[in-house]
Amino acid sequence: MPTIEVDGKMIEVNEEGFLSHPEEWTEEIARLLAKAEEGLDELTAEHWAVVKFIRGYYLEKSLAPMVRRMCQATGFPLMKIYDLFPSGPAKGACKVAGLPKPDGCV
Amino acid sequence: MSDTLRILENEVQIAALAFMAVVYTVRLAWLFRFRMGRERTFPAGREAAGAGYSLMNIAMPGAMESTRKRPGFYAQFVVFHLGVAAAIAGTFIIPYAPALFEVRPVMRAFQAVIAAAFFVGLSRLVRRLGNPVLREVSSPDDYFSLILLMLWFAAAALAVPNRPDKGEWPLILYFGLTAFFLVYVPFSKICHYLYYPFTRYYLGRALGHRGALPPKGKTGAAAGRPGESRA
Amino acid sequence: MRWRKKGPSGVVSAPLDTRTQDKARADGLASVRENRLRTYEPGGNVSRFLDLLEKRISRSLAVSMTACVHCGLCAESCHYFLARPDDPTMTPVWKADQIRKIFKRHVDWTGRIVPWWIKAGSLRGDEDLNRLKNIVFGSCSACRRCTYNCPMGVDTGLLVRFTRGLLTELGIVPEGVFNVSRDQWETGNQMAVSEKDYLETLEWMRDEVRTELGDDSVDIPVDRAGADILYTINPREIKFDPRSIAHAAKIFHVVGASWTLPKWGWDQTNFGLFSGDDRLGAFVARNVYEAAERLGVKRIVISECGHGYRSTRWEGYTWAGYDQRLPTESVVVTLKRYLEAGRIEVDPARNADPVTFHDSCNIARSGDLVEEPREVLGRVCSDFREMHPNRRENFCCTGGGGLLSMAEYRPLRLEAAKTKAEQLRATGAKLVCTMCHNCIDGLNDVIKHYKLPMRVVQVLELVSNALVLPGAKAK
Repeated sequence: MPTIEVDGKMIEVNEEGFLSHPEEWTEEIARLLAKAEEGLDELTAEHWAVVKFIRGYYLEKSLAPMVRRMCQATGFPLMKIYDLFPSGPAKGACKVAGLPKPDGCV
Repeated sequence: MSDTLRILENEVQIAALAFMAVVYTVRLAWLFRFRMGRERTFPAGREAAGAGYSLMNIAMPGAMESTRKRPGFYAQFVVFHLGVAAAIAGTFIIPYAPALFEVRPVMRAFQAVIAAAFFVGLSRLVRRLGNPVLREVSSPDDYFSLILLMLWFAAAALAVPNRPDKGEWPLILYFGLTAFFLVYVPFSKICHYLYYPFTRYYLGRALGHRGALPPKGKTGAAAGRPGESRA
Repeated sequence: MRWRKKGPSGVVSAPLDTRTQDKARADGLASVRENRLRTYEPGGNVSRFLDLLEKRISRSLAVSMTACVHCGLCAESCHYFLARPDDPTMTPVWKADQIRKIFKRHVDWTGRIVPWWIKAGSLRGDEDLNRLKNIVFGSCSACRRCTYNCPMGVDTGLLVRFTRGLLTELGIVPEGVFNVSRDQWETGNQMAVSEKDYLETLEWMRDEVRTELGDDSVDIPVDRAGADILYTINPREIKFDPRSIAHAAKIFHVVGASWTLPKWGWDQTNFGLFSGDDRLGAFVARNVYEAAERLGVKRIVISECGHGYRSTRWEGYTWAGYDQRLPTESVVVTLKRYLEAGRIEVDPARNADPVTFHDSCNIARSGDLVEEPREVLGRVCSDFREMHPNRRENFCCTGGGGLLSMAEYRPLRLEAAKTKAEQLRATGAKLVCTMCHNCIDGLNDVIKHYKLPMRVVQVLELVSNALVLPGAKAK
């Protein structure tokens, strides 16, 4: 399994950059993934609102939330999610939140 | 002309041709055992046009990127197959219309085409041995067919002057190999010419139905240069 | 004589992972119980494979098996080989030979008697089937570019799909393929979107468009009987990016179109195309056709999706054994009609960035739309540039054939994307427009991996951007 190294730390990810072991996620890892995969040097409170919602939803339902839920919970319009996470809700935000890769031709 | 040669030029050829015809018929019957589905959609083009375009592929090197980018390769293909046609024609001309080869320029023309085909064959053999892709996929049949065909071209080029009085061996080799090919071809890749009309027809018809062939609008080299702006 | 050596093979050695299959069986999923969705069982797979091969092969594929003369012209038409020119296992001829040799050994003539003479060969066990899986799922996007470049007309792209179908029947598939097939069988859509989420997302987008246009009469109808148009979408539009639904709703509203989405049968995508499973293909396509019949619409319109277009417009009717009754078209063709009739007004200056167009394999090579998107783009963009080669000779986005659902083959496909990256870079465009959701993701991966300064857009987005709303001309 490939690993990515950011700021001297090694985290194991699958070929698409999603966390291999979702249970290992920490906020520190979120920062590292955001930097390595989304090119985000820092995560603002708005980023965290999205990430924390996704993480909570996943822990409760073992599923990735629909982007609509993300928008409802955070109050952000869809465009904002794309502004915050350039790769979009599935490949960007869910990845930073430490979810495994969603199924489907995505 | 010895009796051996006369029989080889006539009866043996006819027997071999009959054998090939029978095997080809059985082969086509075998092929038609496989079912063919039918279209259920409104067409976006004409099936006949697609099929026709596809069948004409052999004469349109500009239609495919692969032949457009390798015009020398295509030219070799043309020479090689003209050589095949000439060599086959020779097996009919010599026994049944030998007067044609008494016309020196005609006989020399045949020799030239067949000799050119021989050298194309040689070039193709070198390629088949030197190119890692071809080495990887080629079977003994691929090499055998090519080498034997080259031998046949050589024999044909020497046999076409049709002078048994000066030595029968080129003619014996030529007609002997022809008979061998007639029997061998149905079991070898050489009978690709039997399949060509079918693959091209089925592909062309399906793509014609879908409006993909013949290509509408611009294609190939005319289809734009990188960065060409239509501002 | 130059003696070139061959390099290492790039074929991925991924083992067969049946964890999700085992779970599906354990969970007693309906599609597994009713044997629609096949799962792997050890033992007897080779003989079953050979049996299926002989029973299922069509005449046109049988002749594709026999007609190859090993000329090698297909090699340079394949993006996998172009990126790995020392690797013969990336050529279409080699890939096709992996199934062809089995056909020659077991179904054909010469191969049964002297197999070594024509390089016929057999399968020894499940490991060989797994290897075949890695080749036909992992080293090929079934883009059919090789088919178009074969002097004999051998359809290697279709041979690959055929082989995938045999393996799918045995459950010898990449995990991603099984998962998506399972979801589409069980829920009717590729991403297991529930009806509730589907309807709520449509309502959400309706509200967004109402706000944007300041017009409460905007509607996204569901199951409206007697509408002219049945609009079908890609589940990706619900699950991840509903903006395209909003774009379509806006345009339909401005035009005053009579349209509806169906409550069931809204998924125009079709994983049966990728997995080679005609049964799944039939199920999904039939859902759409029957929805159209149920609602009494006049036309089926398919949102932008390459494999969805090919499946719903073309192959689906064959799989489902359903004779086409209604015009079935891509939304791009609908847009073109609206533009030509002047039913929507656009201002190309609103799309000022240089745009290039990527032709999706399933639309351009296996379908009929090549000039239509260009005609639309010509009206809504001010700086359109062709990439080269283009139209039917364009290169696959590298994400086709379902590869996006198969993580284990990603590194190889990104390596194979080298040609695509060069093509994109050479245009100097900032935007690359495509009519396919798969291509969006495929191209996005290429852009990210090769660090291209570009963004991917769809036709609907560009038309929506350029839309001049009635009454807004004074601004």
